[in-house]
This record gives sequence, structure tokens and C-alpha cells, in this order.
Amino acid sequence: MINFRGVSKIFYPERTIALANVTFDVAPGEFVSIVGKSGTGKTTLVKILTAETRATEGQVTVGGWDITRIRHREIPYLRRQIGVVFQDFKLLPKKTVLENVAFALQVIGARPSRIRRIVPEVLKIVGLEDKLDRFPIHLSGGEQQRVAIARALAHGPKILVADEPTGNLDAMTSQEIIALLLKINQIGTTVLLVSHDQSLVNHIRRRVIVLDDGKIVSDQAVGRYRLE
Amino acid sequence: MIIVTLYRIVRFAWQGFWRNFWLSVATVSIIVLASLTVNTLLALNVVADSAVKSLQQKIDISIYFDPGADEATVLEVQDYLAKLSQVASVRYISPAVALQELRLRHSDDAMILQALEDLGENPLGATLIVTAHQPEDYPEIAKILDRSPYKGLVTEENFSTHRATIDEIIAIASRVNRTGLAISLFFVVIAILIAFNTIRVTIYTHREEIAIMKLVGASNAIITAPFVVEGVLYALIASVITAVVTLIGINGIQPQLQNFFTGTPLNLAQYFTENFFTIFGLQLVGITLLNVVASTIAIRRYLKV
Ligand SMILES: Nc1ncnc2c1ncn2[C@@H]1O[C@H](COP(=O)(O)OP(=O)(O)OP(=O)(O)O)[C@@H](O)[C@H]1O
Ligand SMILES: [Mg+2]
Repeated sequence: MINFRGVSKIFYPERTIALANVTFDVAPGEFVSIVGKSGTGKTTLVKILTAETRATEGQVTVGGWDITRIRHREIPYLRRQIGVVFQDFKLLPKKTVLENVAFALQVIGARPSRIRRIVPEVLKIVGLEDKLDRFPIHLSGGEQQRVAIARALAHGPKILVADEPTGNLDAMTSQEIIALLLKINQIGTTVLLVSHDQSLVNHIRRRVIVLDDGKIVSDQAVGRYRLE
Repeated sequence: MIIVTLYRIVRFAWQGFWRNFWLSVATVSIIVLASLTVNTLLALNVVADSAVKSLQQKIDISIYFDPGADEATVLEVQDYLAKLSQVASVRYISPAVALQELRLRHSDDAMILQALEDLGENPLGATLIVTAHQPEDYPEIAKILDRSPYKGLVTEENFSTHRATIDEIIAIASRVNRTGLAISLFFVVIAILIAFNTIRVTIYTHREEIAIMKLVGASNAIITAPFVVEGVLYALIASVITAVVTLIGINGIQPQLQNFFTGTPLNLAQYFTENFFTIFGLQLVGITLLNVVASTIAIRRYLKV
């Protein structure tokens, strides 16, 4: 589903090496946590995956599609196959829960009938079916992140990428979000979770890739994450 | 599907317009003010032009013939001059009429009347009054006359005495035109800069929305379209307001202006009505283009990611 082959990313002009010769594969349906200290290139890896930035070296394929040198006008099609969630939920404050999710479908030209069908569906998956008309400021952080996840799921992506989704949430709420991600994974979506929360990742008991200084230092099927 | 997409684009644009109501008002106002300045200068130009024209119409040159020259020859000269492409009209004044006009002009000057009476016979020759199409044509007409075989019959032509006035009028006319153009350009440039900046601010206020659209895989065309439509909306509103204010203003000041131009009709309102589609159509097209280009350029930096 996702293949990184010797991927390096160097930021000029400082020549910061964000990723150094990173190679890994993610199979369809996997749940992979990517962990590491701050500044080790986790977000850079996510950005290469969503074509927000390009690898300096190496090859990246998503679902068999080589996106290493993806064309600008093809990027939207890539992003419709990858749902992304961030630490700051990136919701539109002037739109309700329902409108925030529907917006994602409207702007990619979905039919109204499809929007009417899918929006309640994904909001049900994240457990917000009774808060459709709330505005983001009237939701807790965890609920806001659920809306963001619902929006990421709206166009039926094969992959869900979450970059520090629990970074702004307390431990209890973080657990709930992880549980939700596991549930989404169970439905069949490949999930890539980026985090530096040791205990959170260790509880998942799934594959863990550890990055340090832009290099993969460990990749274990049922991994535990240790910060040395 | 296309209709749904179009509907969404227009609705986003419409929402954008109303959600940032005061910003929209500011954008429209700036564009209207700039367009009104341009129209005011255009009106000034029209006024100056008709002032110059009315003065030009008052210019003519008189060619005085020797009292001995017979009528047939003078009429021949009239014919000759009338055929020149520069000449608009040639009026023949017979010696008798010339004398009558002289008497009339000096009807309260007993001495002159008496002198004419004493003279017994008509001392005046025939006169041809020549009007050219353009004031610039007078020197040429004078030259042609000078080179013609009729030169000997002419006792006097007052071209040279008019020359200074004519040159002055030509100079004023072109100065008015040039100054008007320069000031218009100046304001158009300022308007473009301000409108451009306002549109940048408008798009800046939408940066989160744009980022999310990019994130969920909206195409650049779909992201840009509402802003372009919003720009067209600004252009439409601004153009209509400009047209209405211009026409009301022109019709309002026309009577006052007319008082200055006693005698010659000033067709300012007529000018704007006759050229309505040219003036306001061009403005609409210009403003629309400006807004579309400005939106497209301003949004580019947000589309890069
Ligand atoms: N646009 C950029 N220009 C220059 N350097 C950058 C840029 N983006 C990231 N970097 C550098 O690349 C390195 C990796 O950054 P990255 O954001 O991927 O780290 P991270 O693992 O996500 O960290 P965190 O856990 O704090 O989010 C850092 O040293 C960072 O300073
Ligand atoms: Mg990061």
C-alpha cells in the first residue's frame, strides 16, 4: 500500500537532513505507528506521502502509484486516497460539524445525494451523530479531533494518516482517539499513526517504526517504543 | 454535475462576499472611487473639448478683395477654396452687404457714418469668410491662397492676426487632453494597486479554507473559481454603482456647466448616454479583468502546498 525506497529529504539551504535513506513497506490493512523524538523527520515523512513536499532522493509509491515525481495536477487525486488528521484539528470555525465534513465532499465535486448519505455515516463511525449542528468551539478537543477524522474518512480513503492526533488531548481522550483509529483500521483502512507519546503507542501492540535523526532505527511487527 | 459544481462555486463566492461584508464594501468602494475619478476626468475632457470646439467654430479667416475685383472672379475664388479638402465652408459677402454690415456695426458713430456718406461710393471690396475643418488647417489654406493665381486680387487676409489665437487654442486643447490622460492613468494605477491588495486580504482571510480544500484533494481550479466569481461580483456591483453615480452627477451639473457655455450647446450628458456601452462596458470589462487577474495571482501562493 505504501512503499518508501531509500527516501532522503534534505532541506536547503541549511542542508538539514530530515530523512536519511528511509525504506519501509506498509501492507494494506496494517496499523503502523511511527515514533521518534522531536525533529526526527516524522512530519516530513507524512508530507512526502501527501505530496506536500518531495523526496530529495529515493522512491515513494502509494497503492502502486509512483508519486516520487507526481505532477501538480495529479496531487488532488492522491489526496483523495489519503485522509490526513493533524494535531491542530484544522476545522472551519464558521461551519457546523455537519458542514465541515460535507465541505470536504463538496469541494471535490461529490453529488449531493452522496454527501447526504456519507456525512451521517462517517459522523456515526466517530460517534458524533448527535452533534451535527454544533460549531467547533462548542466541542471538546477530543470531539473536534473526531470531526477531523470524520472529514478525513469522508471520501473513503484507503489510507488514514494521523500526525500527532492526540498532541493536544489529555490521556483519557487520547486513548479514545486511538481506539477510534483502531476501529477504523478494523473496517479496512490502512492507518499510519505518528506520535511521540511512548505509553500511548506501547498500548496499541501493533507494528512500530522508530525514527531517530531521520533514520529508521527499529521496525518491529508488535513493537514497543522506548525513549533512551 | 456541472450545474451542481457551478452552483457551489457561486454560493461560495456569495458567502465570501457577505461573510466579509465590510471588506467587500471597501473593495467595491475603492473600485467605484477610482472609476468615478476616471469618469470625472473623462467628463472634464469632454467639457474642454467642447469649449475648444466652440472656440474653433468662432475662428474663421476673412479674405478681403480689391474693390475693383469683379464678382464673377471672387465667386471663382470661393469655388476654388471650397473645393479644398481642408475647407469646411466659404461664405461670400458682396461689397454692398459688407458696407451695410459696416454701417450697422457703427450705427451710433456719427463720424464714420458721415465719412461713408461723404465718400459717396462703396469703398469696400468683396469678402470671403473661410472656415476650416481644423484650426491646424488655416496656415495651409493661407499658403495655398498665396500660391494661387488669385493672389493679386487679395488686398488683405487676416490669417496672421488670428494665428496666435489659433495656436493658443490648439495648445490648450492638447494640454487638456494630455493632463487628463496622465491624471486618469495615475488614478487607474492607484486603483489597481488598492484593489489588488484588498483582494489579497480577502483571500488571506480564507487561507484556512483554502488549506483544508487542498488537504482534502480539491483541484486548484475549484479552489480558485469562487474567488474569481467573487471578483466578478465586485466588478459587477462596482460598475453598476459607477454608471449610476456618473449619470446622475453628469445630469446634475450639466445645467450649471451650460451657463458657462452660453451660446454653444454642451452635450456632456448626451456624450455619456451615446457612449454608454463603450464607456461603462469597457469599465466593466476592465474591472472584471483586474479582479480576475488579481484573484488568480493572489491565490497562487496558497495553492503551492
Ligand atoms: N520546511 C522546512 N525547511 C527547513 N527545514 C525543515 C522544514 N521542515 C522541517 N525541517 C527540519 O527537518 C527536521 C525534521 O522535521 P519534522 O517536522 O519532520 O520533525 P518531526 O519528527 O515531525 O518533529 P515533531 O515531533 O516535533 O513534530 C527538523 O530538523 C526540521 O527543523
Ligand atoms: Mg511533526
